[in-house]
Amino acid sequence: MEDFLNKLQKTRAGFFSRKRLVFFLDLIAIFSILYAIFIIINLEYLLNKLSIPSSIPINIIPPAIAIIIAIITSTLLHKKDKKTNVIRLIENKYPELKERLSTAYDNRDESNIIVDSLKTFVSESMTSVSPSMLLSKGKIISKIMITIIFLAGMAFISLNPQGIQIPQNTLDNVTKTFTGEDQNNTGLIDITGRPENMDNIGAKGSGDIFGKPKIASIEGKNIDLTLYTGDNTGTTVSDYNPTSNQFIKSAAFPVDVVGSNVSDGGYSMLMKKTETEKQLINKYAVERSKI
Amino acid sequence: MSNETYSSSTRIFKDLLDEIGKVVVGQHEAVEQMMIAILCNSHALVESNPGLAKTLTISTISKALDLKFNRIQCTPDLMPSDITGTYIIEDVGGKKQFRFEPGPVFANIVLADEINRASPKTQSAMLEAMQEKQVTVGNKTYLLDKPFFILATQNPIEMEGTYPLPEAQLDRFLLKILMTYPTFEDENEIVNRYTKNITPAVRSVVSKAEVLELQKLTRDVPIAEDIKIRAIKIVEATRAKSDNIEYGASPRASIGIILAAKARALMKGRNFVSREDIDAMAYPVLRHRVILTFESERKGMTTDQVIADILKNVK
Repeated sequence: MEDFLNKLQKTRAGFFSRKRLVFFLDLIAIFSILYAIFIIINLEYLLNKLSIPSSIPINIIPPAIAIIIAIITSTLLHKKDKKTNVIRLIENKYPELKERLSTAYDNRDESNIIVDSLKTFVSESMTSVSPSMLLSKGKIISKIMITIIFLAGMAFISLNPQGIQIPQNTLDNVTKTFTGEDQNNTGLIDITGRPENMDNIGAKGSGDIFGKPKIASIEGKNIDLTLYTGDNTGTTVSDYNPTSNQFIKSAAFPVDVVGSNVSDGGYSMLMKKTETEKQLINKYAVERSKI
Repeated sequence: MSNETYSSSTRIFKDLLDEIGKVVVGQHEAVEQMMIAILCNSHALVESNPGLAKTLTISTISKALDLKFNRIQCTPDLMPSDITGTYIIEDVGGKKQFRFEPGPVFANIVLADEINRASPKTQSAMLEAMQEKQVTVGNKTYLLDKPFFILATQNPIEMEGTYPLPEAQLDRFLLKILMTYPTFEDENEIVNRYTKNITPAVRSVVSKAEVLELQKLTRDVPIAEDIKIRAIKIVEATRAKSDNIEYGASPRASIGIILAAKARALMKGRNFVSREDIDAMAYPVLRHRVILTFESERKGMTTDQVIADILKNVK
């Protein structure tokens, strides 16, 4: 194998090992940030509170989520690394090799006086090529510094969460908002507390009069329907449509009364009563009407 | 031999250009392109106004290269046999016999002056010589001496009574070289040189064998894959649907650009083809192979402008 091909192979290996280092630095930095955020928001307590059924111990979940997201993000960030044209990078960094290295590489199997002279020149020039020159040293150093800072920050937060971490009662309030739990845990939904979905009650509906009304759609809960003074009282005109009041006068219903054979409301029975009974009934009706 | 020629190639080209420069003032690009056509073992078409030293340039090159030079002045009544040669009857010891008398095409460098004035029949006679590097007279085929190079000239003005070369014939010329008017300084130098009693002389710089070696070396110049792909893409772009181009270039143009770029690299003393070589050679290789649309001609566009656009757009 030509000298320059050996050197190129070594340079490529060196370049990709540095790229891997950058990948891990990014991975650690992203993990540190995410894990620090999880500690601050007390994700472990939140997961406990939400009592998510899981066979994994709760304290493992936050770092596991952080590492999964960090791996995915770093992989996406370094997706194009494998496609990096190292020859092009070398040519850009070493102008004396510009177009020469790619030509020598593409014609590595050829042999004639001109190709051989090119290969000799490229082999000689490649001795000065270093993989560290292809990746900016400043970039790697700054990445290491940033990673160390993030790592230290995460370590500090995880060791001294007091004062940084969101208090548990704040989280409780947040979880209650999401779960709809009452402070006294009576199992009743306080309509004045405006639990989730209650805003929609009485609001513009679908117009469907069939099926279950919305107020009864919360299953398994006793609903406190007490209306407190000043809260949700009064009427709201919704779906007002002026055209709905435009009535059309229809033809009058025929006024002829036709007696039925079924019942006359007890009139015939009343007519059969004695005069005394009739007076008594009349008196009862008069007294009743005064109530 | 190859080693020696290659190691001295930079000096050879420098000496050649210096020697030609003693006679031809300016026209560096045209001289370079003529040399490239010779190195590619191909032919070139020169278009220029009269009096721009076309004949002088090519005869000077042939002297510097130590090659046999012939000139054919094309006219409408020029016959194919006037170019290829003919059989004549001669008396040998009282016995009459046919003898082939070679025409002016039997040289290393042939200048076909104002080729578009020759009839299509005569133009076609040159086709075999150009393509096959051989001439068939009667039922006998004669091989032409190597190297063989035809430099045809055309006058862009005075087109009356001419027979424009058909596209198929134009495609056989590797390059179309444009010779422009000299600058004021160059013209001043021309006047100084050619108004004295002493006319500049040229010495031969290389031998015929060395020219053949250089032709071989030209094809050995390596080219990177991405640069080769760029050359092909440039030619392909001429065939793409466009408002400016009616007909694009043939695959011969792709071969032409790469070969000419190799020759240019060798002349510049490089052992690899650069992107710059491809771009520089795209103009002379494509300019006679691309036919512009009526609309772009109406707008006054030139093929060089269209090629420049293509070079700008092809990555």
